[in-house]
Amino acid sequence: MNGILTVARLEFRLRIRAGRWRWLVGAWFLVLLGVTLLVRSAADQENLVGDLEEQRTLGAAMFGVVMLVVLALALLVTPALAAQSVNGDRERGTLATLQVTRLSAAEIALGKLLASWGTALVFLGVTLPLALWCYLEGGLSVLRIAGVYLVTALLLGIVCAISLALSTLLARTTTSAVLAYLTVFALTVGTLVTFGLVTASVQTEATVRNDGYGGSYEITVPRPDKTWFLLAPNPFAVLADSAPAAPVRTIELPNGDTIEEPLSVDVLGSMSRELHRIRAAPRYHDTEYGTQFAVPDGVTGGPVWPLGLGVNLLLAAGAIWVTIVRLRTPTRKLARGQRIA
Amino acid sequence: MTAAQAGVTARGIRRSFGPVHAVQGIDLDVPLGQVTALVGPNGAGKTTAMLVLATLLVPDAGEVRVAGFDPITQAGEVRARMGWAPDVFGMYDTLTCREYLETMAAAYRIPTGQRTDRARHLLELARLPDKAEQPVHSLSRGQKQRLGLVRALVHDPAVLLLDEPASGLDPRSRVELRDLLRRLAGEGRAVLVSSHILSDLEEVADRVVFVDGGRTVGQHAIGDMPQARTARTYRLRGLDPAALQAELEKRGVGWATAGHAGIDVQVLGGEESAARLLAELVAADVRVTAFAPVGGSLEATYLDLVEGQR
Ligand SMILES: Nc1ncnc2c1ncn2[C@@H]1O[C@H](COP(=O)(O)OP(=O)(O)O)[C@@H](O)[C@H]1O
Ligand SMILES: [Mg+2]
Repeated sequence: MNGILTVARLEFRLRIRAGRWRWLVGAWFLVLLGVTLLVRSAADQENLVGDLEEQRTLGAAMFGVVMLVVLALALLVTPALAAQSVNGDRERGTLATLQVTRLSAAEIALGKLLASWGTALVFLGVTLPLALWCYLEGGLSVLRIAGVYLVTALLLGIVCAISLALSTLLARTTTSAVLAYLTVFALTVGTLVTFGLVTASVQTEATVRNDGYGGSYEITVPRPDKTWFLLAPNPFAVLADSAPAAPVRTIELPNGDTIEEPLSVDVLGSMSRELHRIRAAPRYHDTEYGTQFAVPDGVTGGPVWPLGLGVNLLLAAGAIWVTIVRLRTPTRKLARGQRIA
Repeated sequence: MTAAQAGVTARGIRRSFGPVHAVQGIDLDVPLGQVTALVGPNGAGKTTAMLVLATLLVPDAGEVRVAGFDPITQAGEVRARMGWAPDVFGMYDTLTCREYLETMAAAYRIPTGQRTDRARHLLELARLPDKAEQPVHSLSRGQKQRLGLVRALVHDPAVLLLDEPASGLDPRSRVELRDLLRRLAGEGRAVLVSSHILSDLEEVADRVVFVDGGRTVGQHAIGDMPQARTARTYRLRGLDPAALQAELEKRGVGWATAGHAGIDVQVLGGEESAARLLAELVAADVRVTAFAPVGGSLEATYLDLVEGQR
């Protein structure tokens, strides 16, 4: 444990001193502040929010968009924090001198992970005032904010672990950085495109009967319920779907009853509902027009995020394992042309 | 040599990198309390052999003991007792010298309270006490080299492996390095130094291990090195260079001018014939002011061995 902290402290120190660290974090905050302002003024428009009653839920609308932007930008920053960690040290000749000390490979690996994750969390941490602002605008629970931040933090840690592993596998820092970005791209855009394409090709034939026209005919129905898992590892899907208790608004009906309805302007909630819907299997059911093959109204599937986060965590665990194995000395195998010292 | 006296024993180390046979049979003994020189041309396999000793590289074959432990199966035990300084010191540029040494002390599990003292002591040893709070990148190459060397001493190791420690050092630092190495050996440590700057090693080493083409081609105590068999260059100076040249020509000795440094002469047949030539010159009334081999005897033996391999 002390060894991990020794490595983490060293790495963290180097990071803080190298480069224009303060400027970077400052710019990051300002960009996100700008985004929050924009989102607020957009959400404040009458036609979006509707009536005064809903003004108090403005925060929920802001928070969803802001957090998606935070995750997107953080996913762009994070690979850079770890993807050159090990091979960069090799190039500078500083890795071997650590490896001959009494630090174990696991301590070096976890220390480096901790340092890069810690740095990513600094970036995440400076957005907390924005979350507080959203909270003050209303419509949000502390639990929801905490949950979203926790999952974002985990997702960034996962990206760090994968990037770190790539930096141990590849000799050149540019190659590992490019691959780290490609991995993030695969997780975000790749899962979406794969899901879209596979779903389009996985369709079921079904016969439906339409009583109104007195006949039955064949239709082909896309089956996202069979391919939803392709979308599950998407970080945005995980984030939206795992957010605790989506905000609702209370509507008073003319008869005096009140019902609770999810906020249509809450992006995370809408994404989550959409994800649940694609998990629901279409089935034959009778309607007043005849027998349909579709997802009945009001039926939704289970949550998508446990699988998604699970897959990501497994990836991270594998990456950490790879990192430790690749840092173990004495070494038997060397990458081509790689010198230890 | 018993195991207790041996800092390092290595028998038949082999290691290939794909098609490159970097080391193909290095034998090595580094006794405690002595400085052992590892000498060989570039690409001879010195660094590779040291990496094996330093618990960084698994050899393809060979028996190795460092401080009594096997660096492959007991790397932890070896690391606690062995210090290694690579030929290129990678340093963290933005750390100060003190932070750097304290970090290394932490990595060697030296208790927190002792790290500051340890770093101060090592900075004094490296003659850099006034650089304690300076960033490492502000040091000159030689100063970095010295810092890297004392870094290997952080945990007071019994075995010291130094890869080309003299490169980049100015003459004064070389003399100091020599004294430091002697002192470390005097404290009972086993010191292995690789270098191609042979004149440095000659004055500090107790033993020499010659390697070439990945093989040990000779291990000698410095006292009983084999005499050179091939021609050796001697540099001569006389008060009257013209007279000196004339005498040499009379004897049919080939010479070449070395500018202001004097005249270089190839002498065959070892020190015996060199002594004879000097006696003859003096007898012929040539006033000789300098008569010395170019390069030390280590270099001559080394060149001899390397030639012999070809
Ligand atoms: N990681 C490596 N991959 C490929 N070849 C290597 C590697 N390390 C060393 N070599 C080769 O092995 C030989 C011995 O190298 P080295 O041990 O560095 O020699 P020395 O230190 O005596 O100059 C050289 O030909 C070198 O090119
Ligand atoms: Mg070398």
